[in-house]
Amino acid sequence: MSKVPFRNILVYLDGSEGSMTAAMYAILLASSTKASLHAVYVVNTKALGDLVKSRIFVDQEKTEFLADLKKDAGRHIRHTERLAASKDVVITAEAIEGSPHKEIISYIKQHGIDLLVLGSVNAIRSRRDELTSENDRMLRTSPCPVVVVRDADDSIWSQFEEV
Amino acid sequence: MAFLETIDKDLIKVPLTAKDGKGVIEELVALFADKNGLSQKDRERIVFSVMERESLGSTAIENGIAIPHAKIEGLSKAAVMIGISRLPIDFGGDRPSSVFFLVLAPADNPAEHIQILSSIAKVCSSTLFVRMLSASRSKEDVYQLFFD
Repeated sequence: MSKVPFRNILVYLDGSEGSMTAAMYAILLASSTKASLHAVYVVNTKALGDLVKSRIFVDQEKTEFLADLKKDAGRHIRHTERLAASKDVVITAEAIEGSPHKEIISYIKQHGIDLLVLGSVNAIRSRRDELTSENDRMLRTSPCPVVVVRDADDSIWSQFEEV
Repeated sequence: MAFLETIDKDLIKVPLTAKDGKGVIEELVALFADKNGLSQKDRERIVFSVMERESLGSTAIENGIAIPHAKIEGLSKAAVMIGISRLPIDFGGDRPSSVFFLVLAPADNPAEHIQILSSIAKVCSSTLFVRMLSASRSKEDVYQLFFD
């Protein structure tokens, strides 16, 4: 019987090194607590659409970037699955399209997630709301507890290799 | 890498001295090249990539802003150069541009490229912010606007 206060962990993947560190941390957490693990990469089609609307992107570029993002999603999901397998952790990983923070909040609600794991959150360097990152938005609006994994040093990578 | 993390005083120029669109790109690429000690060949390669992208359609948007950008092979991290021109320059949009953000992003990180462009578009959707940016007299003024 698990005594930890969560059973379903979700790690958000965004293609950054920080989110891979978060994935490693989530795998270690799932392995040690026997919680189930989910990983989601959100292909940011909302931003792509907005960039076309504001004429920063042309349609051809949108198509190219969408393909690039899907490839990136596939690559990161496969890598996360391999990392999980290396620790004998079963993982449910998928790519979703939309607005990252909205899709993650929706996934949390639909799948009974009770712990969200995020890569690093930006230091507050500007009061401008427009510059708030997706991770910041998830941190602020998540309906469940959130763990923010700092990637300031390599300790999590070393820990992952040692366990 | 978030947009704010790319802002560097050495990569801001006020005022720009170029008189046309290609000149603006060359001037902004020069900031990046000088900062990173790039060869003439690499400078030309970056200018070519940006101009090639512009040939698909101008990145001049509303409010006198232009956001030229390109994916650059071999770039390790994204860079944003900001330039303000005293005289608006024809950059192929409906109206001339006086504020330029040149975004160079690693070819293998599309998510970061989109995130940076999206942040610039959002912050430039404020008419007041753009007015203040256009009125900046120095790179310190520009820098301060983002970190206020």
